[in-house]
Amino acid sequence: MSNASYRFRESERTLMQRLFEAPAVGKMSPVAKIVAYSLLAVWSVFVLFPIYWVIITSFKDAAAVNQGPFYIPFVDFHPTLDAWRTQFTEDSFCTVGAIGRQLWLLVYNSFVFVVSPVVSLDPMEPQICKIYLAFTNSVVISIFSTAVCVIVGSMAAYALARIQYAPRFGNIMMFVLLLVGVIFATTYAGIPWWASSSVALAFFFFLVRALRGYFKMHLRNGDILFWIISQRILPPIVVVIPLYVMFQAVGLLDTHLALILLYAVANMPIVVWLMYDFFSNLPIELEESAQLDGATRPYIFWDIVLPLTRPGLAATTLLILVLSWNEYLFAVFLATVKVQTMPIMVAAKNAGEKGVFWWEMCAVIVVMIIPVIVMAILLTRFISKGVLLGAVKG
Amino acid sequence: MAEYGHKASVRFENVEKSFGDVKVLRDFDLEVEPGEFVVLLGASGSGKTTALRILSGLEQPSAGSVHIDERNVTEILPKYRDISMVFQSYALYPHKTVAENIGFPLRVRGMEKAEIDAATLDSARQVQLESLLERYPRELSGGQRQRVALARAIIRRPSVFLMDEPLSNLDAKLRGHMRAQLKHMQKSLGTTTIYVTHDQIEAMTLAHRVAILERGILQQLATPAEIYNDPANLFVAQFIGSPPMNVIHGKLDGQDFVTNGVRVQTTASGQIEDGVMGVRPEDCSLATPSEGTLTCKIYTNELIGDHALVTVEWGDDQISVKAPKDFTGEQGDEVGVHIPRNHIFVFDRADGRRVR
Amino acid sequence: MPTDTTISQPGAIPAGVSRRERLAEWVDRNSGTFFIAPAVTLILIFAIFPTIYSIFFALSRVRFTSDGLQFRFVGLRNFSKQFFGSSEVHFLGRTDPVSLFGYACFAAVVIAVLYWWIRSFRTSTWVGMLGRTISAAMAIFLSWILCASLLSGNSIGTLYTTLFYVIIGCGIQFVIGTGLAFLCSQPISGKNFFRVIFFIPLMITPLGVGYAMRMVADVTKGPFEPLLQAIGLSDWVWSADAWSARFMMMVSDSWQWIPFIFICMLAALENIPRDHVEAAQVDGASSVQIFREITWPQVLPVAVSVLLIRMIEAFKIVDLPNIMTGGGPGSATESMTLHSMYIWRANDFGQSAAIAYLLLLLTVVTCASFFNYVVMGQIRKARA
Repeated sequence: MSNASYRFRESERTLMQRLFEAPAVGKMSPVAKIVAYSLLAVWSVFVLFPIYWVIITSFKDAAAVNQGPFYIPFVDFHPTLDAWRTQFTEDSFCTVGAIGRQLWLLVYNSFVFVVSPVVSLDPMEPQICKIYLAFTNSVVISIFSTAVCVIVGSMAAYALARIQYAPRFGNIMMFVLLLVGVIFATTYAGIPWWASSSVALAFFFFLVRALRGYFKMHLRNGDILFWIISQRILPPIVVVIPLYVMFQAVGLLDTHLALILLYAVANMPIVVWLMYDFFSNLPIELEESAQLDGATRPYIFWDIVLPLTRPGLAATTLLILVLSWNEYLFAVFLATVKVQTMPIMVAAKNAGEKGVFWWEMCAVIVVMIIPVIVMAILLTRFISKGVLLGAVKG
Repeated sequence: MAEYGHKASVRFENVEKSFGDVKVLRDFDLEVEPGEFVVLLGASGSGKTTALRILSGLEQPSAGSVHIDERNVTEILPKYRDISMVFQSYALYPHKTVAENIGFPLRVRGMEKAEIDAATLDSARQVQLESLLERYPRELSGGQRQRVALARAIIRRPSVFLMDEPLSNLDAKLRGHMRAQLKHMQKSLGTTTIYVTHDQIEAMTLAHRVAILERGILQQLATPAEIYNDPANLFVAQFIGSPPMNVIHGKLDGQDFVTNGVRVQTTASGQIEDGVMGVRPEDCSLATPSEGTLTCKIYTNELIGDHALVTVEWGDDQISVKAPKDFTGEQGDEVGVHIPRNHIFVFDRADGRRVR
Repeated sequence: MPTDTTISQPGAIPAGVSRRERLAEWVDRNSGTFFIAPAVTLILIFAIFPTIYSIFFALSRVRFTSDGLQFRFVGLRNFSKQFFGSSEVHFLGRTDPVSLFGYACFAAVVIAVLYWWIRSFRTSTWVGMLGRTISAAMAIFLSWILCASLLSGNSIGTLYTTLFYVIIGCGIQFVIGTGLAFLCSQPISGKNFFRVIFFIPLMITPLGVGYAMRMVADVTKGPFEPLLQAIGLSDWVWSADAWSARFMMMVSDSWQWIPFIFICMLAALENIPRDHVEAAQVDGASSVQIFREITWPQVLPVAVSVLLIRMIEAFKIVDLPNIMTGGGPGSATESMTLHSMYIWRANDFGQSAAIAYLLLLLTVVTCASFFNYVVMGQIRKARA
């Protein structure tokens, strides 16, 4: 056979080949293209339609909702701002003056919050616009809890990536046993918790000293890391009942602090998991060099390690921010009146006696999801660069 | 803070280091005079970098002690050892400018900004970097990055410099240039320097003394000339020199080395059944088949440029000879190899010991 | 707990160090503790302590009194109620008349599990064997419930409703998500647009998703009402039938979670070295062959990890059934979390904690089994 017979001629291809064969490496055939784009289009509609429906419903009035489906504003129904007006202006406390005062209180309280550990946004007396209250609560809780979570979590992740730990397994078992003992004593024997726990703590330190040589088995960094990450498996419903009782005992029920700490702990495994990956991929010479030059570990962490992981840190922060913003179960148990977050407020709209005012609810939902959609768009930019994939690769 | 010209001595005393079951450094003793340039030379895994890291404090020895200026620093944090280190990867902070990189050691120590700026400019000038101070490391070439790392090391005016293969990431041409600059700088600053490399040329050209390590054991510590002319054992003899020293197997009988039935006179004396005779290619010369010490067949003839490298077969061994560049022998030709008596080294093959 | 850590921070501070430096020095030397202590403390207080505390709730009858909570030890009664007592139907489903088909299926499953269990004697250590025994016991118990309830034509309880969301839901999400990721990894234009659009649902508040879906799926005022009327289903109400309600729940859950699978799998697919695929294309491999021989084996380790993460989160499902159906009709769409929450609302703390604990047990055993037998296997294969 001569070489010429192998030559590829466009004109010799049959119709079938033209339709189904890719014209070149790295291109798609016409049929494949049509199938791919139509699938993508169908899925885009599936994804966007519920969001679209929520948005247009928020511009409907009662009639437009109740008299059957209307799809396109200005075409088959007349959009109104009624629902929005009810939320923002007809709430008699939603005036510029009241919101201004609350804004000032927000700044003030955030400051106080940092200074003293136990503060709720207390002057949030009922004389305030509901949606504003919920929105600020959500903002304050998610920002503070994300800050706590990312700072504490990345510190732990860094330590696990760079410092060798070897806690004795026996000591940990002892700690857990004493913890069980403390709870037993307080629940069944009626001993006050502060008494039993201080006795147990004293016991713990005594036993750690006394039994130093007996326990040979040590845990490694990998075990600690696995322990922290595996906390994510814990269903929140398991801890929420005891937490309710605990917070009640120390008077933290329905405060910002309670939710901030809880969200921080619930999301900590994700931070540790993602940040551990970023930190262990940094070249260690940078830190060693800084160490030789006299930098302390906290200084190295702050001045060298964190700036180098900035993209990862930003992506992790965004993710945690979204998760805290969306959280529902803890809030439903622990934040009943004062620190209602956006999801709780939306859920409360469900319990009307005259049926659900869908148009009002949709307005609140739109307010609730606009921040997360913005964050989602920011986050995709990181993900498309592959910033968050490293950890999944195992 | 020490002034330029402060010269510290360094002493390793019986330092051992093992990672799990692997012993990377065994009974390591080394004394470095003030102001001396010592090169630790060895293949990868020989323990040379570990020795350097133990001196820097990044690694703790399993046993033994390290002294700087008669002060036992084994238990002292790296930052109090008054040393600075240049890493193979340079370890420049990518998010800091050149100026910030160079000034980092002073900033960590909480010095005034004006002082830091002055010192930064001063040390940048020493390595001709003053025009690049505002750039970021990613905008620099390899040689420039290397110089930033040097500037960061000298800004603190330490009493000991540590360098971990600082030139190995550069291309060959630049490496020669940087080598000269490094030698010049060390000479003018006069700071005690310990330099780790696997490149024998760097070791021979830079060092006052070379320490050769193999499998965690110090093989020889001597000046480059001594190492070349008077190797302590077979390993050192083969490690130094390019192309490497020829080895010819046989036995030592009195003053004669017997190989394949031929007796070669040497300066060594003794009785060794399993011995090795070493001779450098540049010390051998070619002769007519009847004249040479040994008569061999040519294996290959390579023209290098200023000389020809002729490899001949002697029993199971191959002998390389540096011949004049106009040598025209062909593969398979018979040729005589002349080996001068006083350039022959004899080693015991069992432990590589030099027989004198 | 991190009381005895070994950090390579040797010895003494030289003389002539100021007090301020001494403080910095002390912080530096103990940095190992300072860095990890906040995280460990927070987790101990807000995760470990409540988890242990929860056991005492589950083992007690808890009552509110004027001076706080009153615990009365009742042993395992709260748990046994879920399996044999008053709550059995609610939790396990109706298991009473077991059909012949149910018995046959159960026998088949038991034989398969026992075969796997006995065969692994040869290869496992005793720790591994212990784990396998737990997994096998759980598998046999779950399959008995399945055979006695669903496969015998009886109704299922919250246990299997949860497992339905986890297994069927995750499976469907995984297939669709991977398919979309594969489509988006093809040479198409507008990739970034699709990436953003497809990602958004994941970030939307689950509660908002619940309400949005409830509106969209509304049979009288929702957007599909004309369509239902046209095909003659105007009287049909999905929330009145157990399986259609569960199905709607799964659709909504998938709407939210397919993006997660999609985004992870897309990143994994794009991470495959381009030259592998191009070399195969030059060799004339069809796209099906390329996917099966080159792409799939390389993304499989990521795929199983992603599936594991998704499973862990799926066990926690509560918002959607709570919003969309309130757990109804009856308790058909109630997940275990919601079940526990409703009992908590009825002030029975003990039973509520018991169900939560059963959920924890189910989650841990299932996820640990999946991790050990599937994920680790893939990771080992990828490393080998």
